[in-house]
Amino acid sequence: MKNNQTSAHSLNNESGSSMEKQEKSRRNFLKGISTLLGGAAIGSMLTSNAISVAMAYVPSSDSILSDGKVFKKAQLMLLKQICAIVIPKTETLGAAEVDTHGFIDNQLFHCHTQQEQEKTLEILNLIDYVAEEALSVVFIKLSADQQFQLLTELDLGEKRFDQTQRQSFKVLKQFICFGYYTSEVGATQELRYDAVPGGFKGSIPYKSSDPTWATRGLFN
Amino acid sequence: MKEQVYVNKTSEVYDAIVIGSGISGGWAAKELCERGQKTLMIERGGVVEHRKDYTGENTPMWKQEHRGRVENILVDQQHHIQKQCYAFGNTTKQFFGNDRDLPYTTKPGTEFSWIRGNMLGGKSLLWHRQTYRLGEYDFNANKLDGYGNDWPIRSKDIEKWYSHVEIHAGISGSKENLPNLPDSEFLPPFEMMAPEKAIQAKFAELYPERPLIMGRTAHLTQPTQLHVDQGRVKCQARNECHAGCSFGGYFSTQSSTLPAAAKTGNLHIAPNSVVHSLIYDEVTNRVKGVRVIDNDDLSEREYFAKVVFVCASTIGSTQILMNSISKKFPNGIANSSGVLGHYLMDHNYNSVASGDVEGFEDEYYSGRRPSGLIIPNFYYKPNPKRGFLRGYALSASAYREGWDSQQHQDGLGVDYKNKIKQAGKWRFGLSAQGEMLPRFENQMRLHPTLKDKWDIPQIEFDVRFSENEKLMMEDAAEQSINMLKAAGLKNVSGHAKHGPPGLAIHELGTARMGRDPKTSILNGFNQSHDIPNLFVTDGASFCSSAVQNPSLTFMALTARAVDFAVKELAAKRI
Repeated sequence: MKNNQTSAHSLNNESGSSMEKQEKSRRNFLKGISTLLGGAAIGSMLTSNAISVAMAYVPSSDSILSDGKVFKKAQLMLLKQICAIVIPKTETLGAAEVDTHGFIDNQLFHCHTQQEQEKTLEILNLIDYVAEEALSVVFIKLSADQQFQLLTELDLGEKRFDQTQRQSFKVLKQFICFGYYTSEVGATQELRYDAVPGGFKGSIPYKSSDPTWATRGLFN
Repeated sequence: MKEQVYVNKTSEVYDAIVIGSGISGGWAAKELCERGQKTLMIERGGVVEHRKDYTGENTPMWKQEHRGRVENILVDQQHHIQKQCYAFGNTTKQFFGNDRDLPYTTKPGTEFSWIRGNMLGGKSLLWHRQTYRLGEYDFNANKLDGYGNDWPIRSKDIEKWYSHVEIHAGISGSKENLPNLPDSEFLPPFEMMAPEKAIQAKFAELYPERPLIMGRTAHLTQPTQLHVDQGRVKCQARNECHAGCSFGGYFSTQSSTLPAAAKTGNLHIAPNSVVHSLIYDEVTNRVKGVRVIDNDDLSEREYFAKVVFVCASTIGSTQILMNSISKKFPNGIANSSGVLGHYLMDHNYNSVASGDVEGFEDEYYSGRRPSGLIIPNFYYKPNPKRGFLRGYALSASAYREGWDSQQHQDGLGVDYKNKIKQAGKWRFGLSAQGEMLPRFENQMRLHPTLKDKWDIPQIEFDVRFSENEKLMMEDAAEQSINMLKAAGLKNVSGHAKHGPPGLAIHELGTARMGRDPKTSILNGFNQSHDIPNLFVTDGASFCSSAVQNPSLTFMALTARAVDFAVKELAAKRI
């Protein structure tokens, strides 16, 4: 009964038709149940058009090409680079590749307070400011090693950074993690996602190379 | 459901009207219809069709608008109270009331969070599905310490009705033979996780009088033919229940009682019908029907019946009674005692404790279990040395840390990503659900001037936890911490909180049962002392809160009251 799993690579091709797609996947889901129940009993519900589908954020490969809802273009580029450093591409795509920066911009605008938006802007500005102060160029012009080094110092509240700034960066890391691990790639490829587990098993074997459940903390 | 089930204007005099379509209303309708009564179920909100209208169901996070969170503007304008409920989110928000249209006030210096589910099915779609019988110690509690009035019923009066509703609804759990928590008719329990089993064994050794058992919950772990006939299949362990469940994995009006009621051909439903008040005939001393305001266009209409069951939720039911004014009942219908609106209770969820469980690194679980564990109330016998009256249950659960916990660690890059991918420590926690004493001063009343858009007086709440409840939660935190430490958990922490009542969403009392018409609204069959054809069978009728989640008792009381009412109708005493 896992017929609602969509293809893993729908990143850049989910455009305006995502509503239709979602409705279709829901119909497939209901059809699956109807099979489980033995058919006719619930066939009628599939004819309904009452299904309303909310619009989810659609990841885009070009969200840094223009200003966002909270961030300017340059800030989006900076945030994209931070995403790439915090959760890089490994055998799975990283946070930047799945447009976590664009998602954060959208999510901050719709679901967070103005204060949280400003705090996020502040930490981005701080990163550029410190890069310029110390190394005379903005953050994205630094070498990969310099970038990693500077963010590590911020992450630990060391050298040029204090504990308050460290905490602000932790919040930004949380935004990045939320955006990444609730994305399709993060949930289904990096971690494990099971739409319809079919039942609960209290004990299954685990080894350290096994990914965790993506839904931990969301549904249970 | 067939279109002709839904009615708007009708002059038909029904055998019975049921106000409300939640857990109590659904049961009232089913039991009435199955006894051949032409029944009109009145629902203030819109229709929610099973499956078809579960629009948020089975939507993975990346397909949810805002990945499950709700837009600021919407929350500010429509859900500033509802958002406090743990189940409120993007896939469920359509099942929560609109706070802008549902205003209420609290007496200055008090707080109360009123969570609403105003649609067909009511809170049966949104409930937490934990199901526990009340036992003899619970029914005796008021009598022993003098708080509240004595329940007019005992276990022997309600046992067979518990069995009746459990078999139909489907309750999973384990037989335990405990003196303080009667067993139900069970489907198999959900499985425990390995650390939970280990802690269970530790507690059994250290605290033999505090057994840790699997939670009892209205989920089909192994459906019977009866459930299959209702159109339900096994719970798939998605734990996305509050968005609605097309599998019928958990009990709701839609999955269980409504199909049974509709099958009889005796059911009509009047949706979008906000009950303003009951129509009372002073000559016959009977309720004749109800006055309704249309939810959408605010037009008025009336419905008539020989008997009326008020199942509109604790506060909703009492609001209707209070707003039904006549010469004989100037302070609310059926309120000759004057206790209507008083003795409002909730449960107290203000203590938490948790710690790390060492080991079990090669253990994990699959599926999302829609239930935790429970340690039933171990203070069920009164003891003056304890410093407070009544007791609490401890709900419990283990989990293994995932990305939501692992993300907080220091680090960046490949190492950070790889650590987050791995499961972290096992954690285990206990949280209390405490009994709240029935107190006269905890009450709801109609606001003297403020009204809602249907021209119905708003409710003003005046309710707070007393010193007894605070002391109980402090004890719960202390006991929980001690128990976790004794069981060998590490980094144990916990505390008592001071949240106001309401958010347990277990509103109880305000139209209580009792033997004495001078001090209670309803008799032992949930029938009004004053008016024989008027019944209130939801949480409003409770004399005490006990510690158990109350919904199973709503079901049993309702089924029992219908059985009584139909016999009384046949005997022409109603």
